[in-house]
Amino acid sequence: MTTTNAPPVQVSDEMAQIRARARRRLLVGRAFTYLVGIVLALWVLIPIWLIASMALTTPETVRSYPKSVLPFITFSFDTMQFFLQSRGIVPGLINSVVVAVITLVLSTLIAAPAGYAISRYIFRGRDAFRLSILAVRAFPVVILSIPLAVTFINLGIFDQVYSLALMHTALTLPTTILVISSVFASIPYELEEAAQVFGCTPVQAFRRVVLPLVLPGIAASAIFTFVMSWNEVFAATVLTVQNRTLPAQVLVSLRQSPEPYKFAGGFFMLLPSVIFILFIRKYLFNMWGQISK
Amino acid sequence: MTNESIVRTKTRRLKIQWAPYVLILPSLIYLATFFAWPMVRAIRLAVWDEGALLTLREEAATRGQSAGALPQGASIALLDRQSIIAEPGEPVGGEVLTETWFRVQGNDSNGNPVEGWSPESRVRVRATDDEGAPTGGSIRPKLGAAADPLTSLYAEPNENSAVTGKLNSGATVVIQEQADLEVWFLIEGQRDGKTVTGWAPSRMLQIYGDGVSGRIDTGDTGQFTLTYIQRMLNDRFFRPALSTTLLLMVIIIPVQFFLAIIMALVIQARLKFNTLFLAIFAIPLAASDLAVGIVWYSIFTQSGYLNSVLQALGLLSSPVAYLTADTRHWIIVAIWLAEVWRATAIVMVIVVSGLQAISQEVLEAAEVFGANLWQRVRHVILPLLKPSLQVALILRTILALQVFAVVIALSGGEVVTVLANETYRQYYTLRNMNVAAAYAGFILLISMFSAVIYLRMVRSQEEANP
Repeated sequence: MTTTNAPPVQVSDEMAQIRARARRRLLVGRAFTYLVGIVLALWVLIPIWLIASMALTTPETVRSYPKSVLPFITFSFDTMQFFLQSRGIVPGLINSVVVAVITLVLSTLIAAPAGYAISRYIFRGRDAFRLSILAVRAFPVVILSIPLAVTFINLGIFDQVYSLALMHTALTLPTTILVISSVFASIPYELEEAAQVFGCTPVQAFRRVVLPLVLPGIAASAIFTFVMSWNEVFAATVLTVQNRTLPAQVLVSLRQSPEPYKFAGGFFMLLPSVIFILFIRKYLFNMWGQISK
Repeated sequence: MTNESIVRTKTRRLKIQWAPYVLILPSLIYLATFFAWPMVRAIRLAVWDEGALLTLREEAATRGQSAGALPQGASIALLDRQSIIAEPGEPVGGEVLTETWFRVQGNDSNGNPVEGWSPESRVRVRATDDEGAPTGGSIRPKLGAAADPLTSLYAEPNENSAVTGKLNSGATVVIQEQADLEVWFLIEGQRDGKTVTGWAPSRMLQIYGDGVSGRIDTGDTGQFTLTYIQRMLNDRFFRPALSTTLLLMVIIIPVQFFLAIIMALVIQARLKFNTLFLAIFAIPLAASDLAVGIVWYSIFTQSGYLNSVLQALGLLSSPVAYLTADTRHWIIVAIWLAEVWRATAIVMVIVVSGLQAISQEVLEAAEVFGANLWQRVRHVILPLLKPSLQVALILRTILALQVFAVVIALSGGEVVTVLANETYRQYYTLRNMNVAAAYAGFILLISMFSAVIYLRMVRSQEEANP
């Protein structure tokens, strides 16, 4: 900008004023952005704080009115304990975990090759395949649940944890394929090529070079699959009767259950998914970037 | 990102490769089994009456020549009856009439051994094996003076077949085999003004007490029908469900986009705690919709946080009940807030990834040329974000059609109802799969409409920047 050997430029008063104004405007703008950001963050955080307050206190406090929030009320695990000891909750919890784990494994196993194919090969029908996955992602679980329930009844596999996992795999598969393909796409093909140049077979190149690089991404997609299955409630309610998953169990008993049960249940379902998502948010952006492309 | 790798892999295009097809095959099969097929099934359930017609046969045999068909519910006259060996598989509907026949062996009045089939009514079982199957017995005496004192044995378990021998009453027999027969009726009924006569199995029929008339209980041949769709349209919850779903869509989506764009702009400003803000904004992304419904229930319930705060501020003298049948508008407000809270994160993530794709120079140029924030948003950012916003819009529209658990948590699913909830109610409470499928098909129709736009949009985008 200004040459170093020139004498310091005399800045006119007018110029200085303009600069000061610009700096002030920038500062005000920053402050305003911070303010907006903090307000929005509070909008997200306050409801979580409220439900946490209700879940981590005594049932008596939950029933009292007016309500207060955590630092000001008794901290206790009594409400959570009450919820976990209610009928059907522990089996529901086990079912939920089993379904989510089966879904995670199946979905990742089926999706990983497809994700690799989409990101690494050009082939006839590639775009059609990608488009159909995008379309399938958008289809409502409501439609699939009813005919699958009828079919499962006919096949005698209705109300089974693994048949629900089959359904959840179908629901999560499109998303998993897209996430995994974005994970593979972020690893340059040159790495694989270089490994082959240095004497690896294609399979070795994949195992030794690509696999270690994509594993964190695939783990993230698996966690997301787990969360999707954990949260899913419509299909779970339709496809199970005795072997309810946790959300299905809470949903069907919601109406005749007391408030401590509801709040503890809500918090309990919210917690793991929120924690998981904090770990994998980086990959979520990858995934949505991919989808909206 | 993918585009670059496509360019790199372009050299591989030269020869036909099987590898990618093999790699995508499992997912294709899976999606065909669990997506395409159930979707077709759902539509079939909604418009196909499985038991609409009962095919009558020329003879009392499952594979007999068709003698016409009668619709379900038609009145019939019973003309004759006959028993045939029952088809394996469980009988459906109606009243199954069965007859049991035994293949017996004994000595006739001349002491010659005879063998043949006899109905259960003629044999008194006197011995059974370990599993309870009859092994031996005696011929029952016939009552009445006019009756033939001898009991005939037949070549087949059918009274019309040849007689193989006759046994005296009281004769001891060995039971060699047992056959369960199903009774068929020769029936006559009216269809489209014409009389149709033919044989039909008893399990498809309902026989009246007089023994000579009845009705078709269920058919064996499907027929296209609009009954289920009509029942859905005439359901008293259909209109409220549809209007609430659409209303929620209209009030939720714009607010979500407004908030999401503001969140994205805050992220774009690269503040000091950028990653923290991003992490917080993304939290609801993983939240279960049922849990979110319960969270907002804790705020809106009568002894909830909203009343507590308002009363503490002196704005209320006593707590107000928000989530009751008389305050539908408050339930809608609660659902609205819950859905905005929950699903804004998805839109935000899409918008942020879209913003990151816009080159920083363009934004800086606009700033250098003196555009203020509003002008930058209106004339630079929004037009460049259009593709991402469209995708987010369609995705949110389709997801908004599936709102379910939030509504259940906040209204119990009765005061305020939505399409997904009606599907569930038809299926679960009313046990009516077909009407439930009609509801599901209706949601599919609206979603498909959005998806077509979605697909066309994605395609045009891919053509725009290859």
